[in-house]
Amino acid sequence: MLTEFGKIFIFILVAILFTIIAIYAAKLIRPSRPTKEKLDVYECGENIEGTPWVKFNIRFYVVALIFLIFDVEVVLLFPWALTYQDYGIYGFLVGIIFLVVLGLGMAYEWRKGDLEWARPTPKKVDVKFEKKNLLQTNSQINVESEN
Amino acid sequence: MMDLSNIFNSISFVIPEIALSITIVLTVLFDLIFDKDKKIIPYIVLVGLLVTGYFVFAQMDFANFGFTVGDEKYGMFTLDGFSNYFKIIILVTTIIIIFFSSHSNEIIKTFDRSGEYYALLLGMALGMMFMVSASDLILIYLSVELLSLSSYVLTGFTKLSERNAEASLKYLIYGSVSSGLMLFGISIVYGLTGTTNLYELNTLLQAGSINLTTLGFSLILIFVGIGYKISAAPFHFWTPDVYEGAPISITAYLSVASKAAGFALLIRFIKTSFVSYTDASGNWHLLGIFDWQTLLIIIAILTMTLGNFSALSQSNLKRMLAYSSIAHAGYLLLGLAVLSDQGLLAVLIYFFIYMIMNLGAFFIVNLIANKINSEDIHDYDGIGYTSPLLGVSLAIFLVSLTGLPPTAGFIAKLYLFIALVDANMITVAVIALLNTVVSLYYYVRVLKHMYLNKANESTQAVIPTLQPRIIVLALVIPVLLFGIYFTPIVSFAQNCLNILTK
Repeated sequence: MLTEFGKIFIFILVAILFTIIAIYAAKLIRPSRPTKEKLDVYECGENIEGTPWVKFNIRFYVVALIFLIFDVEVVLLFPWALTYQDYGIYGFLVGIIFLVVLGLGMAYEWRKGDLEWARPTPKKVDVKFEKKNLLQTNSQINVESEN
Repeated sequence: MMDLSNIFNSISFVIPEIALSITIVLTVLFDLIFDKDKKIIPYIVLVGLLVTGYFVFAQMDFANFGFTVGDEKYGMFTLDGFSNYFKIIILVTTIIIIFFSSHSNEIIKTFDRSGEYYALLLGMALGMMFMVSASDLILIYLSVELLSLSSYVLTGFTKLSERNAEASLKYLIYGSVSSGLMLFGISIVYGLTGTTNLYELNTLLQAGSINLTTLGFSLILIFVGIGYKISAAPFHFWTPDVYEGAPISITAYLSVASKAAGFALLIRFIKTSFVSYTDASGNWHLLGIFDWQTLLIIIAILTMTLGNFSALSQSNLKRMLAYSSIAHAGYLLLGLAVLSDQGLLAVLIYFFIYMIMNLGAFFIVNLIANKINSEDIHDYDGIGYTSPLLGVSLAIFLVSLTGLPPTAGFIAKLYLFIALVDANMITVAVIALLNTVVSLYYYVRVLKHMYLNKANESTQAVIPTLQPRIIVLALVIPVLLFGIYFTPIVSFAQNCLNILTK
């Protein structure tokens, strides 16, 4: 007899086998005529520009983190808002302390300038070095796309 | 309704933790308000730690279960002598690290972020204080995470070098994998037993209706998480890289306090969940899920042997001390492997002494690195003559770490070996002894560089100012004193031996 978990195991097994068989069956019967365009990374029909390893602005992550914190706060405050009356003044205080600590975190972010989107003043860089680097990467990209 | 009043009744058990939390909030507030005058922050932190320490001492003779749920007798939080002992070790270490940080060039360079630094340091301390008292798998996981997340950030805090960032990243990756495995183990335990409380787990195990194979598997997963925290083999791979890359003050903190908390967690986990009864002579009789003693002995011997033999070829002093701390974790695990109150006593004594000597060794490496910007052993040539105080003190700490007679390290090893011999584990004791001989080589190699190699043109005199000199003396004197007059530590540890069981 199968247990409940046994059924799940069979599901997993079928899922894995289905994927493998589908891929290999396709490989066996399809024609294979690769061209440069076909092998390129798909980028909405555009020609590829540069590598996808771009540095994202760290501020995106900071904003996402701040959003996450307040999202979780809302989730935690809903049950509290429904029941705090039953617990008298203590129940009220628990929520308030939670909010104060979170508010402190908010004040911290604000004061430390994490909420400002303005770009920081760029550092002086060695232009020659940068240019040389840039040329190198460009030529690398060209070589790669020619291959 | 019941639950909440239970929680409020238990608040008196966590007063030290509350004091510490308030200190964190104050640190952040002062960091925000007095943006210019950051020199005040370490003093606030020190006062907060002293107040916390006062509260820990005030509840020293207290033993109770806190944060019970419903009508249950056992709670998430257990207050007993054992937890208080480790809380004191953690607080003393934190206080020393605060002094340590104010004399570390790496930390001084990041002065404008010092508010963050101290808040995170206290975050680690808070996590550890909950860790040593936690008797519920959920609280265990939460406190381990609180400790880990703060330490990931602190490891890469100075942002001075690639080494620093590498250490932080490696620590993060190893840490998240092992804590994920630990959580998986916890979820299986919950699935099997329907409880996360260690005491209830013990009750259910004694009743004996649980599938032991599955439970054993989940326990191994949980031990991965704990083993990573105490850097026991085979989960020690992160240790050398992280210890070498982190700022020295954080390295010292990780190697002492974080390890202490991990050990406290491991000991409490085993003692409360798996001991079926303790007989009159203090031997623990464990439930036969697997052969606990053999398992612990194998891990312990593996840990100490790997640590000692890898330390042999290190020329970076920080890295060498990292491997030596792995080896010490092995000795400590042997103390636990005795599975008796005598072994536990040896572990407690060992930890107290290990704290002093390890912090001392790291502090001197720090002072020298401040001056010469290097931790390489070849830069220590002749330093014993140019800077006599540091040379002699480092020599004493290293001799103590080896475990040679006039120092406290000898007493620590003595109690450990007595416990091993009393438990008839002669072979194991001999292996540990041979390991000590191996460790003698790499500790003495530093002495050779300091005293037997002549000072060359690159040798610099490191003459510390008054305050670091006082700190060095405050660490050296106990090492020598406890080597001769060790009754206070032993009686203190004996008072703190009780782990609250059912």
